[in-house]
Amino acid sequence: MEKSGSIDSLGSKRSSSRQPSVDSLSSTSTSRSDRSAQAKAASAMSCDSGATPTELSPELRVKPKIAAKVPRDSDKEEPQLLPNETVHDIAQDVTYFCPFIGAMRGTVTVTNYRLFFRCMDREPSFVLDLPLGVVSRVEKIGSASSRGDVSYGLVCKDMRNLRFAHKQLEDTLRKSIFEVLVKFAFPVSNGLQIFAYEYGQVFPENGWKVYDPVSEYKRQGIPNESWRVTKVNDHYEVCDTYPSTLAVPVNIPDEELKRVAAFRAKGRIPVLSWIHPESQATVTRCSQPMVGVNGKRSKEDEKYLQAIMDANAQSHKLFIFDARPSVNAAANKMKGGGYESEDAYQNAELVFLDIHNIHVMRESLRKLKDVVYPNIEDSHWLSNLESTHWLEHIKLILAGALRIADKVESGKTSVVVHCSDGWDRTGQLTSLAMLMLDAHYRTIRGFEVLLEKEWLSFGHRFQLRVGHGDKNHTDADRSPVFIQFIDCVWQLTRQFPAAFEFNENFLVTILDHLYSCLFGTFLCNSEQQRLKEEIPKRTVSLWSYINSQLEDFTNPLYVNYTNHVLFPVVSLRHLELWEPVHQRYKELLAKRAELQKRVDDLQREVTNRSASSSERAGSPTRSITPVQTFV
Amino acid sequence: MVTERMLSQSGVSARSRDVLGLRCLPGECVLQRAVMVRKKLSAREGRGWVSGTLFCTHFRVAFVPQDSPKPDDNADPVLLGDHDVALASIEKVVVVGPNRTKLVTPNSSLKFTPEELVLYCRDLRVVCFLFDRLTPDAQVLEITYTIAKTYQPPKPGSVLSFQNAALGSVEMKQFLSNRRRNTDMNWFESASDWEQELERSGASGWRISSVNDRFEMSTSLPRSIVVPQKVLDTELKKSFAHFNEGRIPRWCWRHPRGSDLLRMASFQNNIYHEKDDIRNLEMILFGCQSSLCVVVELDEELPSPADIQLAHSRLRALCLGDISTSVSVPDDKWLSTLESTHWLDYTRSCLRKASEVACLLRGGHLTVALQEADDRDMGCVVCSLVQTGFQSLVQKEWVMSGHRFYSRINYHRDNDKEEAPVFLLFLDCVWQLLSQYPSRFQLTGDFLLALHDSIHLPLFSSFLANCQRERCKRSQNPGQSYTPVNGWRDMLHPDSSSDPSDPPLPSVWDWSLQYSKHRRDRFTQPVPPIPPHQPLLNGNLNTNPDSHRLTDTIPGSVFLLSRGIFSCPANLLPWRSGSSGVYKKSHRRAASSENVPGLERLLKAWAQAEFPQGLTSSSGPQGPLDPYEPLLPLLMGPCMGLWRECYLRGALHAQAFSHPVSANHPHPVERLAREVQQLKDKLEQMAEPRRTDSNLNQNTNNGTFLFPASRPQSAGNPRAAPTPTSTNHQTSRGPPPTSAASSRHGHRDNGGSNKHTFLFGHSSVAEARPDQRYYPAPQNAKLPKSNGIQSALPTTDYKQIISSILLCVSCQTIFN
Repeated sequence: MEKSGSIDSLGSKRSSSRQPSVDSLSSTSTSRSDRSAQAKAASAMSCDSGATPTELSPELRVKPKIAAKVPRDSDKEEPQLLPNETVHDIAQDVTYFCPFIGAMRGTVTVTNYRLFFRCMDREPSFVLDLPLGVVSRVEKIGSASSRGDVSYGLVCKDMRNLRFAHKQLEDTLRKSIFEVLVKFAFPVSNGLQIFAYEYGQVFPENGWKVYDPVSEYKRQGIPNESWRVTKVNDHYEVCDTYPSTLAVPVNIPDEELKRVAAFRAKGRIPVLSWIHPESQATVTRCSQPMVGVNGKRSKEDEKYLQAIMDANAQSHKLFIFDARPSVNAAANKMKGGGYESEDAYQNAELVFLDIHNIHVMRESLRKLKDVVYPNIEDSHWLSNLESTHWLEHIKLILAGALRIADKVESGKTSVVVHCSDGWDRTGQLTSLAMLMLDAHYRTIRGFEVLLEKEWLSFGHRFQLRVGHGDKNHTDADRSPVFIQFIDCVWQLTRQFPAAFEFNENFLVTILDHLYSCLFGTFLCNSEQQRLKEEIPKRTVSLWSYINSQLEDFTNPLYVNYTNHVLFPVVSLRHLELWEPVHQRYKELLAKRAELQKRVDDLQREVTNRSASSSERAGSPTRSITPVQTFV
Repeated sequence: MVTERMLSQSGVSARSRDVLGLRCLPGECVLQRAVMVRKKLSAREGRGWVSGTLFCTHFRVAFVPQDSPKPDDNADPVLLGDHDVALASIEKVVVVGPNRTKLVTPNSSLKFTPEELVLYCRDLRVVCFLFDRLTPDAQVLEITYTIAKTYQPPKPGSVLSFQNAALGSVEMKQFLSNRRRNTDMNWFESASDWEQELERSGASGWRISSVNDRFEMSTSLPRSIVVPQKVLDTELKKSFAHFNEGRIPRWCWRHPRGSDLLRMASFQNNIYHEKDDIRNLEMILFGCQSSLCVVVELDEELPSPADIQLAHSRLRALCLGDISTSVSVPDDKWLSTLESTHWLDYTRSCLRKASEVACLLRGGHLTVALQEADDRDMGCVVCSLVQTGFQSLVQKEWVMSGHRFYSRINYHRDNDKEEAPVFLLFLDCVWQLLSQYPSRFQLTGDFLLALHDSIHLPLFSSFLANCQRERCKRSQNPGQSYTPVNGWRDMLHPDSSSDPSDPPLPSVWDWSLQYSKHRRDRFTQPVPPIPPHQPLLNGNLNTNPDSHRLTDTIPGSVFLLSRGIFSCPANLLPWRSGSSGVYKKSHRRAASSENVPGLERLLKAWAQAEFPQGLTSSSGPQGPLDPYEPLLPLLMGPCMGLWRECYLRGALHAQAFSHPVSANHPHPVERLAREVQQLKDKLEQMAEPRRTDSNLNQNTNNGTFLFPASRPQSAGNPRAAPTPTSTNHQTSRGPPPTSAASSRHGHRDNGGSNKHTFLFGHSSVAEARPDQRYYPAPQNAKLPKSNGIQSALPTTDYKQIISSILLCVSCQTIFN
């Protein structure tokens, strides 16, 4: 089922990659997973993880080691390639303008997966290793200057702006390496395949088996006397953006579900996300009702919501959380949408959560980027940060999720959550509420299930929101909805450091590979598309990589609070900017990571030596060597 | 009412205990009591509520949780229990009724029965008590009135009565006078203390002068002053007049690379001077260094005390909100309002200045003299930020060198002009460093917080005087019968400073007097800072090209560092004309070394610095773990955090969303802590017969750090039962904790099969098979390190486990 690959080759690769060789020390990667090791919050935690940054990055980890007879120089000039990665262009004498270290000269290698810059003049050599998937656009800056330099800017999806320059090529027919790069950075626009389809790595774990809807529903106790699992959407006929397996109230037959679908935008009917193991209060999600300007009603839909309420004997009320600001919800009536009127839905209470749409979020992140990159104005930092409203949006999302969790847990009341289409804000709210309510989702595998279920299977449009391999960087469908969600999760982990099995590195790795296009997990927009593209057969799952080395992603503080509900403080006073993700200015930290690794090695050596010389001289502090965060 | 009367009889016996479990201090009287009160727990304590009994004595408001263990009547008295508030730290008393909120003053009368009692404290705590319907109304009203009457709104003289209430009893006086001081820290009081410090830091070429033994040369300097060996006392005496308050340049610290740090006040301009004076001054300034002296100007960039006071009061208002109206800054304006307090700006400027000085010192072989107008505020901040060894450091640079604690804290509320929380700014700076380099400190956030709170308690000799001279007078030591000439005495203690009934004041460092063991345990990082640890280190800084440039210049130059720029102005020593040979020389060179940029360049230089090549050689002084490198903080806006644990602990909104938790549900971290304690004990038992040297404690054996390294653990007596209060903010809806506990035991047999069970389960595994690793070592394990050591050294196995657990515990307590 998975990509074919011989076990033998796997074994040899893996074993060779694990040697703590000096060679691997001399390379530095600036991919985000590396930097995460220094992330501020993780400084305490990452001490224990024992994972050195070079080991964290999949690129380096799985690289086939170049045999000893190969001259070292070539080893240094070029990246170590992934399976099926091929070099497409190499350019010497390219200048990279690092905003912190300054300009430096080196060699750029472009493969079908990455851009690799190495400056040999420095010791240790400087390396920039950038998956092309992260590039949002490439722009030629100005015209050739008097000295004959041409300059290129790479705007990245992760908030970095990289600038390069090289001499004007004498052979005018020859393309600049950055024009070559464009081809592979935007494979979809250029009729090429995304690299994930070529990536041939085989992992011992199979991440595609992490989520099985039926067993997940079973874990929640579904089916039971009030809820059943239906296959009505087996061929994505009722709703093409929903998964094939849905949980619905028992007393609504499949035929009626289809009529309800007609009244909900994009056919996204209310379905069960989570059920409280004791009170049977539920979290259900859907899209907006097609009320329109005339206030249309649907008997089936009203009956359906009543059935959801009746399934929970503890309460005679149903809360409908509309994630939008009420003005936006009302404006949607003009487009045929709208919200449930309390006349039509007896016993239901409608609450607006004031969360803004994807365009506002995109604009907020853009402002944030302006504030943090490339310069930070110290004296006005906080007010500048405030003016981006990023933290305020985070707060509103968390506050909304908190209200949902509180209604379910404390009020024992079932809730229905929707926004307009029910695939952006709704996913944020339901998954955050589930994270607060159910400790299972706070484990590594549980969180993977949560993402697979609430985000991937329920049709968050990753392809559109991220724009994998698409050169159209101004596409209005792009928005940092998922990043915002991960940021919210990070805020939760900050407030409850012992409640999550995963560490910050886990979250950062997820975000890194959201862009990298190395794994198939975040490709496509819906389950249907993923099936059509045969994603599980043709690509590797991110969870394969993560679950094969869980120790890198495990929070050493984790204590299994099985029956605890988390109620975070959502005041802005207690939210923080997630620095390593939102401030990509810390290229120095990559260097730092490398130094830390050297330190570790030295200490290890010292300890080994002293251990062999005297039995008692060994110092145990190795395991607690701190990873220094800041300079 | 009769019962109420009866309550106030107590304190007849020295070890009296109220019937409801309050452990009174000797002589302490319970004035009022209310039962069935619930106390709101802060986020640190786990949020939620705990019910118990509320007391008001004439010293504190005490709260005893219902099921707290019976106090040990024979233990030494502890001033404040975990839930107590000293009356002197209360700032406002507010009651919340059915529909209203009222500020209670000593004279106010209530027309309703309060449901909630809120105490706003000077140290930014907000303590909230909720009265149950079952609490008798009379008790509610009486205790509110009693607290309002006794909490002492600031007025002169109230401090003394508070001191008497706390420490005035015969038993307490006796107890205090028998108390031995912590000999593990340097108190910097006598010449021998300084001698020890000179020796510790390896500073040769300096001697201790006792010219100021009777405070005749400078009233605010300590008795012992460290000056260059080659300067004679007679020469020294002539220099005092040239400095404000006679605070001449004197040695503070030597960097391990050989640079010396000096402090001095600014020059007196209007004094007639002779040629000899100048020579003397130069000798003092250059100390034992021949090459270079940099005078760092502190007044220019750093906030004035008035600035700090304004910023702090704004920060206070922002964090607490308007108490009487319960209005606080709206959330969407929080960040910009925080910015407009400038508190973080000031913290940053202090840290920046300290970093500059640290960079200079690192260069080696030069003298850095910090100059401030009166050398009693920012000099303390910068000077101590550069150094290490926290507790002794504060003693040296603040308490002994004459920071005006007394005026700056303004206990009597009679001198608002002088009030400025300079020391709190310093604590904030330390917290910033701590949060950026948590592993480089032995102290924890809890320690800083405790110190922060103690400042607001007018009980400690450390803070109740402005300099050593005043402190000596207070304690009436023999040999200090020096009578002041200028009326200090009356200013200080308007009532009667030499009243023999004054209780002896303890030092703030006497922590066991202030806090329970439970809280004190959290003062130190369980995992000691990594060795080598002479100064705080910062791994990767490297040589500093700029300072090389400086050392190129002619020996004997004096530079001024001001606003981040080096210069060597001719008028540095204000009474000099530029006629001296030395000066001319350096002046000529000035063109090249002028505008040597300060920190920004230094940091940039670091970024560009080449890293030493050979891996093997890097264990030398140039290596990545160079112990002599300073701990440079990141100063960019986003890196400066707000000390939430301190400033926001009382904030209303933080408590807005709490749920009752079952009180008997111990926090998993508490369970861990207990297990850690047991493991520690076990380890001690194992280690004792086997090793003679205290290898175990090698990491903490440095005398400069907070506490003695090897405090004997109370073996066999695991830590007292955890307070039932410390559940996290999580509601429980499941099986009692026993299930978790039993599952732990279940894990023991299969021996750490996954990552987190080693926290719990490994103890017994290690017990049975000491050579087993806790690394699960699956086929793709990536933890090649230290396997060899583990099997070779079974005991390190324990230590690793323990340190990991301890790390967990500490992190939890810091972050919670």
